[in-house]
Amino acid sequence: MLPAMLRRILTLLLLAVLAPAQAGSLTARIAQVTTPVATLHGVTVELQWPAGAASGQLTLSARQVTATDLGYRFDNLSWRCPLQRGTGDGGWLCAGELRSPGHPPMVLNVDLATATTDATLSRGDAVLALSRNAASPDLTRLDLTRVPLAWSQALLDKAWPAASLNGGTLSGRLSIETATQRPLRVTGRLSVSGLALDTQDGSTAAEGVGAQFDLDYRSSKGLALLTLDGDLRGGEILAGSAYVALPPSPVAISLAARRQGSSGWKIPQFSWDDRDALRVEGALGFGVDASLREADLRLDAHDLAPVRARYLSGWLGLFGLGELQLNGAMQAHLVLDDGAMAHADAELHDVSLIDAQQRFRLEGLSGKPSFSASTAQSSSMSWRRGALQGLEFGGASLPLRSEAGNLGLVQAVSIPMLGGQLRFDGLNLRPPADGRGMEFDLSVTVEQVDIGQVSAALAWPAFRGQLDGRIPMVRYANDRLDFEGTLTAQMFDGTVMVSDLAMERPFGTAPTLSADIVLDDLSLQSLTEVLGFGQITGALDGSIRQLRMVDWSPQSFDAEFHTDPAWNGRQRISQRAVQDISNVGGGQGGLGESLQAQALQLFEDFGYRKIGISCRLAEEVCDMDGLSSAGNSFSIVQGSGLPHLSVVGFNRRVDWPTLVERLVDITKGDSVPVIE
Amino acid sequence: MIRWFGTSLAATVLMTACVTINVYFPAAEAKEAAKDFVENVIGDAAGGTQSTPLPSPGGSTSLRPSSREFNWLALVGIGTAYAQERADFSIQTPAIAAIQSRMEQRFQAQLRSGFDAGALGLTNNGMVEVRDPSKLALKDRVAITQTVADDNRDRKAVYREIAVANGHPEWEGQIRSTFAQQWIASARSGWWYQDAGGSWKQK
Repeated sequence: MLPAMLRRILTLLLLAVLAPAQAGSLTARIAQVTTPVATLHGVTVELQWPAGAASGQLTLSARQVTATDLGYRFDNLSWRCPLQRGTGDGGWLCAGELRSPGHPPMVLNVDLATATTDATLSRGDAVLALSRNAASPDLTRLDLTRVPLAWSQALLDKAWPAASLNGGTLSGRLSIETATQRPLRVTGRLSVSGLALDTQDGSTAAEGVGAQFDLDYRSSKGLALLTLDGDLRGGEILAGSAYVALPPSPVAISLAARRQGSSGWKIPQFSWDDRDALRVEGALGFGVDASLREADLRLDAHDLAPVRARYLSGWLGLFGLGELQLNGAMQAHLVLDDGAMAHADAELHDVSLIDAQQRFRLEGLSGKPSFSASTAQSSSMSWRRGALQGLEFGGASLPLRSEAGNLGLVQAVSIPMLGGQLRFDGLNLRPPADGRGMEFDLSVTVEQVDIGQVSAALAWPAFRGQLDGRIPMVRYANDRLDFEGTLTAQMFDGTVMVSDLAMERPFGTAPTLSADIVLDDLSLQSLTEVLGFGQITGALDGSIRQLRMVDWSPQSFDAEFHTDPAWNGRQRISQRAVQDISNVGGGQGGLGESLQAQALQLFEDFGYRKIGISCRLAEEVCDMDGLSSAGNSFSIVQGSGLPHLSVVGFNRRVDWPTLVERLVDITKGDSVPVIE
Repeated sequence: MIRWFGTSLAATVLMTACVTINVYFPAAEAKEAAKDFVENVIGDAAGGTQSTPLPSPGGSTSLRPSSREFNWLALVGIGTAYAQERADFSIQTPAIAAIQSRMEQRFQAQLRSGFDAGALGLTNNGMVEVRDPSKLALKDRVAITQTVADDNRDRKAVYREIAVANGHPEWEGQIRSTFAQQWIASARSGWWYQDAGGSWKQK
């Protein structure tokens, strides 16, 4: 731009100054100079040529230089250089500093030969060389050597005003065609290293990105076209919640983009090839604010193992699953319409999801699940095995149907679990949309689940029995899981019924569980045997109402246990059990240091009439009671026959953590009381 | 007759309603508790991270049962719970204390620098928001977005659990706004917060 204009002005000036062989000085003032690329306003060119000197002093200044198409604007630009004859015939050379307030000075070197114009602009080791040839006046060639990307900020401002280039260099060669009546066209091959880019709101950014690509950019009134073809070589990219850590191996990309007027960019053709990890092909559309509005993408991941670290860590991290282990292969097709998911389907090949914190595990996922925001679609999915909070379950095949944003089961499905099975009669799942989190509801029947295996998996005492029940409705919404119906466990020859089950934050921080539990006719003999709690014969009834557990430890409940008076058999309690009960109750049993106590120690076990104990837990304190109370004492065991035994508790307010500690000691058998 | 019935029904409903909503939210006590909690998480501005876990009732009262002697008195002793007055407002449960200590660690290790840099802000609903990620390096930006998501999950759980621990799940909203005000009140100078209208201000 500048050299072309310079050539014309210089010719005029030189003719005037050099005609007589004497010292001359001439100043030209030009209101406006227009070239295909740039317009200069308020131009002053001054040439001083001392008589007989080999060179003159050229000073060029412009009040304003604007390159509208490229987005550049410089104010009060000035260039001073010694003007001398060139090496060729009729040529001129001039090299000097180019200054504009607010910009670091650069060196501009211009070589005007008869047929060619060469100019280099440099600062440090960054060189931008321009060459033009009179034979092709519309063509300008640019050679870039480690040119800071910041120099093209103005160009970027035109395409993406919110973004700023903070680092990186550009090398390569570009041809710029500036024929009148034809679109501005820039073609060439560029290599980028250390690209750092950021948007004002910080939502999109790149750092250390290397790339090499062929570029073809055309811009005419109201239409811009861009094609890029090349590869990305390392670096990281952030776009919203998506974080891409590019591998050191090249990722081939190619895209064709267009922009009509001031609307957003459309990319009808896009491909991304990260070999086995991820291949993507499809189309993208962005809004004016550079947000993703439309997408139709086909993804192919031959090996999901590297995909999490390279592509998914940003999203998964938001759900606390940043360390999720992924294996297997999948293909997927995603359609985004007006910013919302319209269709998604996937083909899974032996995919495994394993939570780093062991909360869940799902192995051998296969099939073709699909999701539709509009018309109905049938699909299916299966897995080999899995586990949830340590509870293992077997494989299942799910026939699915998706319609209007819901995903559901077509028919009942049984999943083997811990010796029995879970039968899902219905399932409806709504993925997160419109600011709502994921929601689902299902109904499930629990059949013959072995409590022994449940206990082993959860490291409970070795309970035995069988769990059955039907939960007609499980509903998950707003981080809360509610169960309707009752689960019945047949254990210890009796039943345990669990109702009003609910969980808050089941998949999140400090999950809670609340329930009402009723015990009926449990065999005390089996129960005490399992708990290692001495030995008692009889039947136990009771309840744990308003149980609320946080992080799997009880926070509050209202519990009461008593022996069933209807039980007809011998009701005996062993000496060890008496001591254990005394320990738990914090009470003073019939065994003391008195003579009477010593006499009782001669007996292995005692007959009893009733046993009863209750505890209301709140604020870490268990408020205890028993069969009957008087003052601060309450009766826990009422003896029967001779020797007559009674256990009485004397302390109603019991510290819960200490109580638990004692219970654990007792059931482990650690606390063997020494009776002297 | 129907009219009379309707009127009396309405009156009954009204009376019942009066009874139901007549629950006193202990605002002053809640504010005090929130202040303790928040100051503990934010810690000392001078750099020393003070770590004073909430005293948990009874946790310190456990008497070691004697292993030599079968001491009935000691057994009585296990039960001796903190003889504390039943406070109007309590945030002292192990679950809340566990979340609090996690939040404190997270705040000292990661969030504080984000607030100091102006990248994070305290929202008017008691949460943390990445208000200006451009203040952070790209790598930190990804990490802090996840940390903020973790912290907000914890905050939500804390507000809920405090309400439930006090036997009034319906207080969750009031507790949340008490905390929201306290986070902002305890914020150090230079940190950003959201005013009631939702616009960002620097303290």
